[in-house]
Amino acid sequence: MKAARIALGALGVAGIVWGAWLVSDDGFDKLQSTALWLVGVVLLHDAVLAPVVVVIGVLAARTVPRDHRAVAAVAFLLWGTVTLAVANVLSGVGGKPGMDSLLHRPYVGAWLALTAAMVAVAVVSAAMMKGRHRETGA
Amino acid sequence: MKDIVAAIDERIPRPNDFTSPARGPRTAARVGLALGTCVGICFLTGLWSHFQYESPGWLPIGPHPAWLYRVTQGVHVATGIAAIPLVLVKLWSVYPRLFRRPRKRGIRAVVVGGLERASVALLVGAVLFQLVTGAINIVQWYPWSFSFRATHEAVAFVAVGALLTHLAMKLPLVRIALRSPVEDRLSRASDGPSRRAVLLGAGSASALAVLLTVGQTVPFLRRASVFGVRDGNGPQDLPVNRTARAAGAIEGATDPTFTLELRHGDRAVRLTRAKLAALPQRTHRLPIACVEGWSRNATWTGVAVGDLLALVDADPASVVRVRSMQTRGAFSSSELPADFAADPRTLLALQLNGETLDIDHGYPCRIIAPNRPGVLQTKWVKSLEVTT
Repeated sequence: MKAARIALGALGVAGIVWGAWLVSDDGFDKLQSTALWLVGVVLLHDAVLAPVVVVIGVLAARTVPRDHRAVAAVAFLLWGTVTLAVANVLSGVGGKPGMDSLLHRPYVGAWLALTAAMVAVAVVSAAMMKGRHRETGA
Repeated sequence: MKDIVAAIDERIPRPNDFTSPARGPRTAARVGLALGTCVGICFLTGLWSHFQYESPGWLPIGPHPAWLYRVTQGVHVATGIAAIPLVLVKLWSVYPRLFRRPRKRGIRAVVVGGLERASVALLVGAVLFQLVTGAINIVQWYPWSFSFRATHEAVAFVAVGALLTHLAMKLPLVRIALRSPVEDRLSRASDGPSRRAVLLGAGSASALAVLLTVGQTVPFLRRASVFGVRDGNGPQDLPVNRTARAAGAIEGATDPTFTLELRHGDRAVRLTRAKLAALPQRTHRLPIACVEGWSRNATWTGVAVGDLLALVDADPASVVRVRSMQTRGAFSSSELPADFAADPRTLLALQLNGETLDIDHGYPCRIIAPNRPGVLQTKWVKSLEVTT
């Protein structure tokens, strides 16, 4: 396994060096912009998104009944990650005037429908689990 | 001073403060496996797209099969979108490790710990950079100074390199985590989600994100893909990526004195659109497939490029420089490799889906060839020149 790890590591370092070499011809402006986005996305996750999720978790632990917390957490996982995966079309940025081919759907309406559907599924799942717990006496 | 540092340290959480048992290596390794697979496929299909743009000598890419780029680029964007929920859950599962303190004191421990953290930061930064800039690029928003295509390619190597380095460092832990059962037999009472629920949630979110967006590539899912960047509509039932107005092509395209120039060395022929329409016409069903992941089949009618080359006594298997009347934006000319020029399905199209080509689709005439990225299907063509 040691040989495999060394080979993987060497291949990985070669990939990083090759990638860095590919942008080495870029001027200061381009490199600065690349660095800004590389660091920015990490900060956005580690210093904003992840702490917000922690705070939501703490608030949920105080407000959501114990039996329903697992269902609520999975529903939040689904809703939150799918929302971020489609944030590009929800954000309202992009597209061009006079371009009917692009970004021409009612995205916010679809997102509200998705949110309502997830809440409905979560409520029904929680009710079903509660019923099952009662039957089994758990 | 020491007191201040200690006071700050006291306020920063520690890994043990994160109580959810669903976080940790067993979740991270399993989500990581799925994420690594997506990243790997995304990397290879992205590399393939790069080769389609600039075919290297050792890998000549031909016109067969016509649908290949449509599939590889559709898969590229779909796996990128699939990776977004997975990377978020993966980061959630290991987030407490951000707050761990060095176990040992001394310069060596600090350097080794610092290097490990730097490698993880590079991995997270590069992967998130690829997913975020890719997602923004497909809605045609470019809020950066770098060249998207070149930088997306370069950071892809950094991301995959950092991923392999990370795997090399973590391989023993990954093996143990994957061999351990997902849940403990006697799991301690927890009111949070189980690992199995988180894994199921991550997989479902990933699949759902793809389902809700992939209709721009997979026609029968068009209605289900309510978050697709494109709904498949456009003039003559085909999406447009750049309008004639945006490309500054309206004046040239609507000029009634338009003639197409065919050139082969000293030999030159000029053809009006009426003369082009009087030449033998061929009809083929070929896809337009864009680097942004969308694609759509259409029926094209026009003159085979090989037939046009014969008019200037050129071999059909010649390299052809195609020039556009567009005055703005990139790709105002393209090079048609010999394999493509010789293929009878490569057309200088005059009609789309049985109608005269719409100006936004390249009127008076455009190139359509099998298995080519959309930007190389040059619109508003003004000349074809045999270069070799």
